[in-house]
Amino acid sequence: MKLRSYKLGAAVTGCALGLGLPMTAPAAITDAAFNAWTNMVTKQGQMIEDLKKTHEQDQQEIQELKQQLGQTQELATNAVQKAEAASQNQPVYQAPNPATTASHNFSVIGDAEVQFGKTDGQHATFALADFAPIFLFRANDDTLFEAGFDITLNNNVNPDGTRAPGSATTVSLSFAQMDYTLNDYATLCAGDVILPLGTYSQRAAGWLNKIPDDPLVRDWLPGSGIGAMIQGALPVGQRGQSFTYAVYVCNGPSSGNVTNGFGGPMDLDLGGNVGDSPNWHANPSAGGRLAYFIPWKVHYDLEVGVAGQSGEWTDFGNHLWSSCVVDAALHLGPYFEAKGEFINTWFGTDKNGTLGPKGLWVQASYKLAGLKQNLPLLNNLELVSRYDNVNDSMGTRTDRYTVGYVYYLSNTLLFEGDYEWLKSRGPNALPSSLFVLQLSYGF
Amino acid sequence: MKAKRFAWMAAPLLAGILALAALPAAQADDSAATSTAPPAAPKKKITGVELYAIHCNRCHPERYPQEFDQRQWPTYMLHMRVRANLPAAQAREIMKYLQEEAGN
Repeated sequence: MKLRSYKLGAAVTGCALGLGLPMTAPAAITDAAFNAWTNMVTKQGQMIEDLKKTHEQDQQEIQELKQQLGQTQELATNAVQKAEAASQNQPVYQAPNPATTASHNFSVIGDAEVQFGKTDGQHATFALADFAPIFLFRANDDTLFEAGFDITLNNNVNPDGTRAPGSATTVSLSFAQMDYTLNDYATLCAGDVILPLGTYSQRAAGWLNKIPDDPLVRDWLPGSGIGAMIQGALPVGQRGQSFTYAVYVCNGPSSGNVTNGFGGPMDLDLGGNVGDSPNWHANPSAGGRLAYFIPWKVHYDLEVGVAGQSGEWTDFGNHLWSSCVVDAALHLGPYFEAKGEFINTWFGTDKNGTLGPKGLWVQASYKLAGLKQNLPLLNNLELVSRYDNVNDSMGTRTDRYTVGYVYYLSNTLLFEGDYEWLKSRGPNALPSSLFVLQLSYGF
Repeated sequence: MKAKRFAWMAAPLLAGILALAALPAAQADDSAATSTAPPAAPKKKITGVELYAIHCNRCHPERYPQEFDQRQWPTYMLHMRVRANLPAAQAREIMKYLQEEAGN
């Protein structure tokens, strides 16, 4: 009751003050000002409405984004869970390194030959079509896989050498080895390894050897062998000299007598004893090569080497096959080359004691560009000559003299030709003289 | 008999080739000037281009650096290092030269 009386009193006092004050303010606001204020208030009201709408839209978008985020998080969670579950069931493989799987690490090199020849007393013939690719795969800077094939087409012949109908394509694996550089001074080669018995096997491609036919005495050496080899080179001084070595073990030769592996004089099989069958005899062969290379200036150098191999060859292991090879190569300027090998082999036999097939070959060549006649045809020509002989120690001896040429159509395309004079006597005398033309390509 | 007669024909040719060998020896300076790489001073360390000329010509006509690109040479060089049993340091020098001069 008392509080109501105070309120009533305050109201009466306020009314009295209001009536008593002078009324000057309404008289100061014009209609224009009032309208301006009205417009401003109206505009602000519209702006507030627009902001409200924008806010509502933003809120809607935020809700949608929150929803999408939730879905994404759910997917990610599921993926992680799936990956974890998968990793528990199978190994995680490392992605391949593009640097080691690029196609340039796989290369094909090699050579191809087409041959036309005529042996005395026989018709001339296109005697050979040979394609010899070498597949290279460099796994990394230290590891190389290489395999060489020889694909040739030949007329069929009977085992006794007489003609037979048709032809045959022969595909043979010349070598297949893995090379791993252990360090700067040692490289491991394993597989079907090119044997370093001399240097001819390593430099025998048609576009390298300058004379189409191999030296006769090379028939008494294996070109490759299943085994493992460590080779390396030790530089001597600062002028390019080097000492090289190679040591290896391989299955070695075997007996071609498939019935009982006996050691008859004609049973020696230098190319056998390969593949996944057990070694035909108990122990492997061992061999190696030591060589020294001396360049005294560019294009002037001398290389000399000595190599050998020894091991069992009969199934009973009661006979050894051994070999010794001395090789040399000389370059006197960019135009002259001389090289050769002396080869001596020994193998024990059941009834004929120890036989010792042996022989040698020496070859010299000269590029006529050295005459400096400025004649293109002459400058592309190289003359070559070779003497080789072989004595099978079973009564047959053959001497062969060869003269020929190499015409360089390019640095890798060669047109070769030679004439070979044979003097062969004995129970296994070779056919007569012949000439050979050969187109060789190295790639 | 026939082979013996032809053998006497081959022998002079072989001798002739050996005689021709004396020419480049006598013209060593000229031949070196026309070769791929000039001879170096006696005490100077041998270079990659010299090693390239020394080793590659031992077995085959030179393969020009431009025949292959920088990515191909390592495979070929590793193959030749094994095949020719080259010292590793010399092989690296040759490799450096080949890649510097390699084709595209």
